[in-house]
Amino acid sequence: MDGVQVDISIAGLSKVFRKDKRQVVAIDGFDMRVGHGEFVCLLGPSGCGKTTVLRIVAGLDQKTSGSVRVHAADAHGPPGPPELTEVNGAGRDRGMVFQEFALFPWRTVRKNIEFGLEMRNMPEGERVKVSTDLIELVGLKGFEDSHPKELSGGMKQRVAIARALANDPEVLLMDEPFGSLDAQTRNLMQKELLRIWSAKKKTVLFVTHSVEEAVFLADRIVIMTARPGKVREIISVPLDRPRDRTSREFIDIRSKVLTELEEEFDKARARELSPE
Amino acid sequence: MNGIAARLRKTIVGSWFQLLLSLTAVVVLLVGWWLYSAYLRGDWPFTNLPRLDKADYLPYWWDVLKAFGKSFTEPTIGGLFMTQHIAASLKRIALGFALALLTAVPLGLMMGRSKNTEAVGRPIVELFRPIPPLAWVPIFLAVFRLFWGPVLIVFLGIFFPILLNVRLGARSVDPVLLDAAKTLGAKRGAIFTKVVLPYTTPYLMTGVTVGLGIGWMCIVAAEMLGAVGGGVGYYIFTANNGSQYEFMYAGMLMIAILSVLTTGVAELTERWLRRWMGFK
Repeated sequence: MDGVQVDISIAGLSKVFRKDKRQVVAIDGFDMRVGHGEFVCLLGPSGCGKTTVLRIVAGLDQKTSGSVRVHAADAHGPPGPPELTEVNGAGRDRGMVFQEFALFPWRTVRKNIEFGLEMRNMPEGERVKVSTDLIELVGLKGFEDSHPKELSGGMKQRVAIARALANDPEVLLMDEPFGSLDAQTRNLMQKELLRIWSAKKKTVLFVTHSVEEAVFLADRIVIMTARPGKVREIISVPLDRPRDRTSREFIDIRSKVLTELEEEFDKARARELSPE
Repeated sequence: MNGIAARLRKTIVGSWFQLLLSLTAVVVLLVGWWLYSAYLRGDWPFTNLPRLDKADYLPYWWDVLKAFGKSFTEPTIGGLFMTQHIAASLKRIALGFALALLTAVPLGLMMGRSKNTEAVGRPIVELFRPIPPLAWVPIFLAVFRLFWGPVLIVFLGIFFPILLNVRLGARSVDPVLLDAAKTLGAKRGAIFTKVVLPYTTPYLMTGVTVGLGIGWMCIVAAEMLGAVGGGVGYYIFTANNGSQYEFMYAGMLMIAILSVLTTGVAELTERWLRRWMGFK
């Protein structure tokens, strides 16, 4: 990453929350940097705090201590400072895609995509231009005026991705976006996401619990420890795209990631079983 | 044409057999009414019995229908046409309804979304909600007089169902929608108008439907105790005072029809709105 602009910088991040009068350390000393245009997957056993890390970067959750800085600039706004700025609340410089799609049911596909543009008071004519391009990009032509309830899960997530891209953020945060899709749709959406990513050159931080998904998508995979979550290992995936899930190299990297993860799975399971 | 008839039948009752049952129920009611009226009067088939004093209280139902028709074709009770009474009552309902919408919607949204507003509003709401709006009739008529008094009674009847439903809706907004709006750059105001308010609309419509039903009950009572320019409640009360019982029942029938019509329109609007807005 030397010489490359850094878009996300997390240092010494920790998160403590209270549960039934007890303090639970969810994240402790998490460090990570994501370079410009990089695709990074956060992988870890459930409960390790990977979603919490993402939500803190998004500005939806408060950190307890540490530093979370992002390259806060959106292409439509005034040019941001070249240096990273500390995250303070949610903002349109970081687009987010949720596992539950989080589409507004009363808005059509087009109106969902234009939500962020409305927040910026963009005139209608320009909005339509932006949303038309994005509808084309995510392959939803002909569904502009459909409501979310009329769409399949994969189509809903296409809308959500287009909506997150509408504000043209530098950073795209994705919280298990394909977790509720069936296996076939999931594979297709992974390919679609890579196509969109290479077209838009966004920095992506992607939370998943699927090893295969991480190896298929990521430039680098950040493996987290069981709670309290921190970085256990960062594994680079130096394979050309499109990647062949059945190739020797793919399977090698997948087993390497799996071996690392399994120890953490065991730790998480042991903690679950032990009476606290 | 056939399709429309079938759909209409489906919305009213389930099958032809059930439609038959419904019609039978109405016929049984009308026959029972006729027999009891005849019994009170000593008419056929009770010609061997004497006419009772209370016979006037229950005219034959066809006389009620005649009075109902007559009220539309000529001025009767209070020297007004039925349409004028309807207009007077509708005006009060509309005013009370508008006032309730303007106050209960913002208040319900705020109580549903802000714990502090909820803390301020809750004891007041819980204290006043159980009081039947009719209990306020004497004091409201004395203080707010004959125009605003009945309007405010109606307002009270509609206010609480709307407030409670809007509050429930605002409380149940899916948190992930709020998160999504925030990451798209929505600030507090926009979250309210562009997420919380539309999410709450179906709940609001439920409140409106319930509220209108209560509103009609209130308007009758309010107008009975005093009204300017007529009203269906005034019509019932005046007919009763003049011992024109067939007209009194005609007024009651009118209230039932109006209430069914307005809540029916509210329900249809709710269904249409849900579909149009993409909920279900």
